[in-house]
Amino acid sequence: MGEQKSETEGYVGQSVRTIEGRAPVMGKATYTNDINFPGQLHAHILRSPHAAANIQSIDTSGAEKVAGVVRVVTGAQAAEHIDPIPHYIDPAVFGGRSASIRCLALDHVWCFGQPVAVVVAEDKRTARYAASRIVVDYEVTTPVIDSEDALKDDAPMVVPGWDANMIMQVPFGGGDVAQAFSSADRVIKTDVKVHRFSTQPIETRTYNGVYDAGTDSVTLYGTVQNPHPLRNVLSKILRMPENKIRVHAPVIGGAFGMKMHGHPEEGLVCFLSKLIGQPVKWVEDREECLLIGAREQVHSVELAVTKDGTILGLKDHYLANTGAPSSCPGWGMAFLTGLTMPGPYAVTNLDVQLSAVVTNKPGWNASRGYGKEVTALALELSVDNAARELGIDPVDMRMRNFIKKDQFPYDSPTGLIYDSGDYAGVMQKALDAIGYDEWKVKQEKAREEGRYLGIGVGFELTPEGGTLPGTFVAGYDSSTVRVAPDGSVRVLTGVTTPGSGNPTGIAQIVADELGVRLNTIEVVQGDTTTCPYGFGNSSGRSTIVGGGSAAKAAIEVREKIIKVAAALMEVDEESVSMKDGIIASGDKTIDLEEVCYACYTRAYDVGSVIEPPLEATAMFKPGLVRHTPNEKGQINPYPSYSNAAYVAISEVDVNTGEVKLLKFSVAHDCGNVINPILVEGQACGAIMFGIGAAMAENITFDENGRQLTKNFMDYVMPRIGDVPSIDLSHHDSPNPVNYKGLKGAGEAGVGGSAAAIVNSVNNALTPFGVMMTETPLTAPRVWSAIQAAKKAQPQRKVA
Amino acid sequence: MEDMLEDTVLVNLRINGKLHELEIPAHKSLLDLLRDDLNMTGTHMGCMTGHCGACTVSIDGRVAKSCITLAATLGRAKITTIEGLTQDDGELSPVQQAFWDEAGFQCAFCAPGMLMCTTELLDANPDPSDAEIETALAGNLCRCTGYQSLRRAVKAAAKLKQNTREAAE
Repeated sequence: MGEQKSETEGYVGQSVRTIEGRAPVMGKATYTNDINFPGQLHAHILRSPHAAANIQSIDTSGAEKVAGVVRVVTGAQAAEHIDPIPHYIDPAVFGGRSASIRCLALDHVWCFGQPVAVVVAEDKRTARYAASRIVVDYEVTTPVIDSEDALKDDAPMVVPGWDANMIMQVPFGGGDVAQAFSSADRVIKTDVKVHRFSTQPIETRTYNGVYDAGTDSVTLYGTVQNPHPLRNVLSKILRMPENKIRVHAPVIGGAFGMKMHGHPEEGLVCFLSKLIGQPVKWVEDREECLLIGAREQVHSVELAVTKDGTILGLKDHYLANTGAPSSCPGWGMAFLTGLTMPGPYAVTNLDVQLSAVVTNKPGWNASRGYGKEVTALALELSVDNAARELGIDPVDMRMRNFIKKDQFPYDSPTGLIYDSGDYAGVMQKALDAIGYDEWKVKQEKAREEGRYLGIGVGFELTPEGGTLPGTFVAGYDSSTVRVAPDGSVRVLTGVTTPGSGNPTGIAQIVADELGVRLNTIEVVQGDTTTCPYGFGNSSGRSTIVGGGSAAKAAIEVREKIIKVAAALMEVDEESVSMKDGIIASGDKTIDLEEVCYACYTRAYDVGSVIEPPLEATAMFKPGLVRHTPNEKGQINPYPSYSNAAYVAISEVDVNTGEVKLLKFSVAHDCGNVINPILVEGQACGAIMFGIGAAMAENITFDENGRQLTKNFMDYVMPRIGDVPSIDLSHHDSPNPVNYKGLKGAGEAGVGGSAAAIVNSVNNALTPFGVMMTETPLTAPRVWSAIQAAKKAQPQRKVA
Repeated sequence: MEDMLEDTVLVNLRINGKLHELEIPAHKSLLDLLRDDLNMTGTHMGCMTGHCGACTVSIDGRVAKSCITLAATLGRAKITTIEGLTQDDGELSPVQQAFWDEAGFQCAFCAPGMLMCTTELLDANPDPSDAEIETALAGNLCRCTGYQSLRRAVKAAAKLKQNTREAAE
């Protein structure tokens, strides 16, 4: 660890320490909520207690009478000054229905928790109390909670003026599905219900708007994954040009998609600061954070199979309950679920259809996996069910149907172009790591003792680095590399970090390409004023495009340094080498600082061979993406296709329904690895999301659409004792076009691991005939499934 | 006019070795006192219900969640926060050092709880088992790491502390 590396190799590929250094462990890292300004005011938002209602009137006089209250603003008042929030991904761009979203509701609320009014006060406690003194007269209407109900003929409209509760319906597929189904030995149907769950970073969202009257400009300090795109959004909301707006993201305490923009509070604090002339901060509380949903989908997967387990065709018309309209990019997850079908399997006859439904639940935001985790759950549970029905081993069934490693690049029936992979090899590695066959023996033995062990596998394909035409999901990114006269290096990049370690990876790349020591590099991110234009953090892209662009810039700067060094040493450029900050030609060496100083100060003699300063900005745009539709109208939004296989070993207590995870293995293909310890951290973190998803995390509502999940006692996330030791191995097939063959790490893990766990529980309960395909597998649910199975099959002898 | 003014309480707190005499409203949490009154922002707010552990400090030698601790109840308490873990000469404590070396954290928002609880654990138990590590960190949520790197860091911290002790002897 630390700075050390082997002599022959560079920093890339080494588990070096994070360059954030000592600050995080000293309590000195500055997160958004740690920043306060003179005259700092605090906002509290009054939210709708109803899922659907018309606002008849709002009386703010009670709040205005509280000492310390500076301003109370309703939706109608705000609308005089600010405009609706532009969509991160506007459904209209793709032919869908688009709603106008305001920071504060105008005359109608469409979900529980929707912002209705805001109080700004001298302290947060006063703001909170005063908000409780606002009286809103609601005419409560009938909400639509369930996605199937939303599509009934007599369903009330969630969005006034729409003619259906549907953002869009999208078909995916091709081939001859009818032929595939008629020629199959069996058609096996599996209903997979994926529940609503969320990312819940430990740092909640926080925004601090600071207006400067002197320059008529505003700065937003905030928990923001995509500062430059948000600046454009704020300019539309605030009716201000982009050059009067700065977005600055300090250190971020986890994001996982939740801090992608479109949230009402981003524009609201900026507007309030401008209105009042003082800084206004809003800190989300946990109950508010839990309003942000994702992933809730109902699938009905039909597999047309032969007796030996070959999948001839796949049908899946699915519903996504995306909640009320939101400007955040969450709804797009539902689209990606279908686009990523049929995942790793060589199935060409495909009939998949998305119905992205709106309801009166709160809206979604992007969540790690971005819909691809639901693809994995739907596919992997279906394949296991089919394998059980056919009486074949679930691993054999997967191996039979995987795309073969000599088939890449592979054209999927939905129009994707898979860059590279060795799915069978990845699966085998995960099985070998855990000892699949040995566990089968242990399982037999345990059953004799009345213990129920389960072995489950799951596979996940996670396209990374995505880009959608006509949106700020733009695909490319840019970085600047600057070398100062003293030889120290600053990298400024358009990608941001949610705390995942990408600045360290980018610094490792720059250290190698430039030929300097890692500890001489600083990385600056997350500021629209200092960093080159970029699209921030999403879709596992940061090291692919941040690292790729920084490498190109570093190579340009290196050439300048080498030229001046050659002039100073009076040798040929070709003879000059630079590594670890040491410049040499034959047995001559020269100090890096001496050369850099000369580059800046001797522009008319030895430095005249270059153009100072020692600085370059470069852009990296991954290949393989195809935005021009093919003859079927399909695009390929992804340059790389990470993938992974998971094996879970669990034990079920059949008397209580409790599931204990005993062991977990994963084999991961994210292309070449820049920093193994950081990639392992990404994989383990994503797997923990999968464990939470499979077993406990759940956002629930009452029959009126009021959210019941309010804190971490209701929303149960894995704690240290819930996560077994994870055996991680890499099986890398490098991306053929990306810098260093990178594919992206971080998203893979959620769906494949959740599927492996569900499959392991069903496997454990095979003697009872239990097959659960609705998540999460809480103890009461597992217990009920066992009881139901016992009742249904009283004659079955249970070992 | 309604007013939120209320009676105040005088508390004497020794925080990271330094004496603070403060007059505070009775409702104020220790977390708000640290962050808002003393600008000690190393201790974090994650839930305000005592479930996540990002606000963990040590009060009179025992870890506690500062978001659900009323500062007015503390009288003359000795409090250590994450800022107090760094040694006077600026050296990191073995626990801090090990968490950095082992990439224990990603976003490090949970760092206050993980570091305070690990410090307390290793002070009492220099060579903890896996189960003892799980018990010590059970009150702290981490959303980034899947806990694997945290376990590794705790074990490395134990080893580093052992080495430091042996070097001193």
